[in-house]
Amino acid sequence: MRKISTAGSVFVSVFGIIVLVFGIMEFVVLGRYGVEGVCWGPLEMSGMWLWWTGIILVGAGIMYMSSANNFESNIHQLAKSVVASIMIWIMAGMAIFDKVAGSIPGEEVWVNPPADFLAGCGPPFTPAIFLLPVSLVIIYFIRQRHRASPNTSSEHLVEE
Amino acid sequence: MELTIDQRWDLVDRITKETVEVGAYKHTLKDAIADITVRPKTGIPFAIAVIYGFWMFFSTFAGFFTDGFLVKVFGDHYIPWLGSVFPGKGTWLFNIFAGNPAVFQPGYAGDICFEAGGVLTTGLFMPIAVVLPAIIAFYLVMAFLEDIGYLPRLAVLIDTVLHKIGLHGYAIVPTILSLGCNVPGVAATRALETRKQRFMMMVLLGVFVPCGAQIGMMQELIPEKIGFVFIALIIGYFVVGYILNKIWPGQSPEMLIDVPPYRMPTRGNVWRKTWMRTTSFLRVAVPFMLLGCVIVQLLYLTGGMAHLGHALSPVISGGFGLPQETVAPLVAGFLRKDLAVGLLGGIQLTGWQMFSSVVLLSVYFPCLATFVLMIKEQNAKEFGATLGVLAVTVFAYGGILRLIGMGLGVA
Repeated sequence: MRKISTAGSVFVSVFGIIVLVFGIMEFVVLGRYGVEGVCWGPLEMSGMWLWWTGIILVGAGIMYMSSANNFESNIHQLAKSVVASIMIWIMAGMAIFDKVAGSIPGEEVWVNPPADFLAGCGPPFTPAIFLLPVSLVIIYFIRQRHRASPNTSSEHLVEE
Repeated sequence: MELTIDQRWDLVDRITKETVEVGAYKHTLKDAIADITVRPKTGIPFAIAVIYGFWMFFSTFAGFFTDGFLVKVFGDHYIPWLGSVFPGKGTWLFNIFAGNPAVFQPGYAGDICFEAGGVLTTGLFMPIAVVLPAIIAFYLVMAFLEDIGYLPRLAVLIDTVLHKIGLHGYAIVPTILSLGCNVPGVAATRALETRKQRFMMMVLLGVFVPCGAQIGMMQELIPEKIGFVFIALIIGYFVVGYILNKIWPGQSPEMLIDVPPYRMPTRGNVWRKTWMRTTSFLRVAVPFMLLGCVIVQLLYLTGGMAHLGHALSPVISGGFGLPQETVAPLVAGFLRKDLAVGLLGGIQLTGWQMFSSVVLLSVYFPCLATFVLMIKEQNAKEFGATLGVLAVTVFAYGGILRLIGMGLGVA
């Protein structure tokens, strides 16, 4: 349990910093390039929602970092990381939904052929999509905590 | 056998001791998440993420159906086909049902969906192609958030802010309901404690909260400026709320609300709620939209619109800096605000004029269905005051927007 929790503290600290940096970058991009934004290889930061996504990423980053302390002993700290992850899942989920929904209808045809659909779903992606796979690691910590307390269901993680 | 009060309590104690087992409370992860989402420091960023998700789902879902398919169905196929087969081109009947004959000319470059104006063309395009996807998306997310148990948490978070204008956090529920349709929103004000709070809420809903259909229409017409429209409306919501709280007599008592635990929503419940609310919205909205198209076309055909335009031009052109043609949407706005916003799509306006017109239509008269409900829910004094607030708000917004536009060199 101790080993897992230390790993958890390190994970949320490092990941929190990365999420926070992405959030700050969104503000910098907005200030410098406006809503047109920028596209660096597969990463895209643009659109009229940069303010919102910036605030959400900064908030999530801070929540991850603040949950590092006592990650092993306090269920509220784990919950804070879970809430930060949900924030990233909301953003990434909506970005994926937008990509898929935008790639199905065609300009000249009703439905795009598979090749055009896949091209439409491809990069560039928003930061949330890059953060999504890493944020899913939180599920591992929830499960580990559950396994460490076998007498409690996932809904009954005891605050020690 | 009759027991005294003390004996009854003794009996209760004995039964409790034998039947109830008391143990240490185990705080679960779900409990901890529930706590975190109501604390301002963590709850506000989470609320921003939820609202962002709400809006993105709404606009993507509506955009997928409206821009992806339905605009093509109506603009490329149905409306040109109807114009070609509807008999009596140029007659009143053609104008009312099919619309302005000019849009059916080959090579017409404008937006045929909004500019046709007929009952069977624009009158059907707006509720089916624009409003329906928007309303389904709104009610789907709304039902999900309700069933998961997030709305009461939002109420707790916003409680402090709403107290500044004499309302409590639970006033967010009628406000959010009104973002779908003002009619259930106004009905939901019955849950508020005092007449003062109910009156204030009804005024704020009728004036500053656009319905889902109107939002869908705004998203279609001015997607890049819709955020500014919302900022203008939110400012008005709080400023007018603050003033009303100061000048309107009555009390704004504290209220305790129960915050339920988070629960997994059931698919059947979410679909049932969405279906029920969507069909009920369409039953209220569609007849007024069709009637609005008939009235606007009749006013055009009889020359009434031109007369109205002349009569109102000192206010509309002189005061607000808008062209006389915006009289038609203002007239339609008495019936449906979404129809009114949609009609703006058929008028040549600059970016600033379009923005000002959308804001003014939003704060202008509530739609007829809401208006009728307000008459039912308010007494004569309250209703008179509501009309007064409406008039003052329209003129204040019109004047302020004109001044801002002049200051920016765009009006």
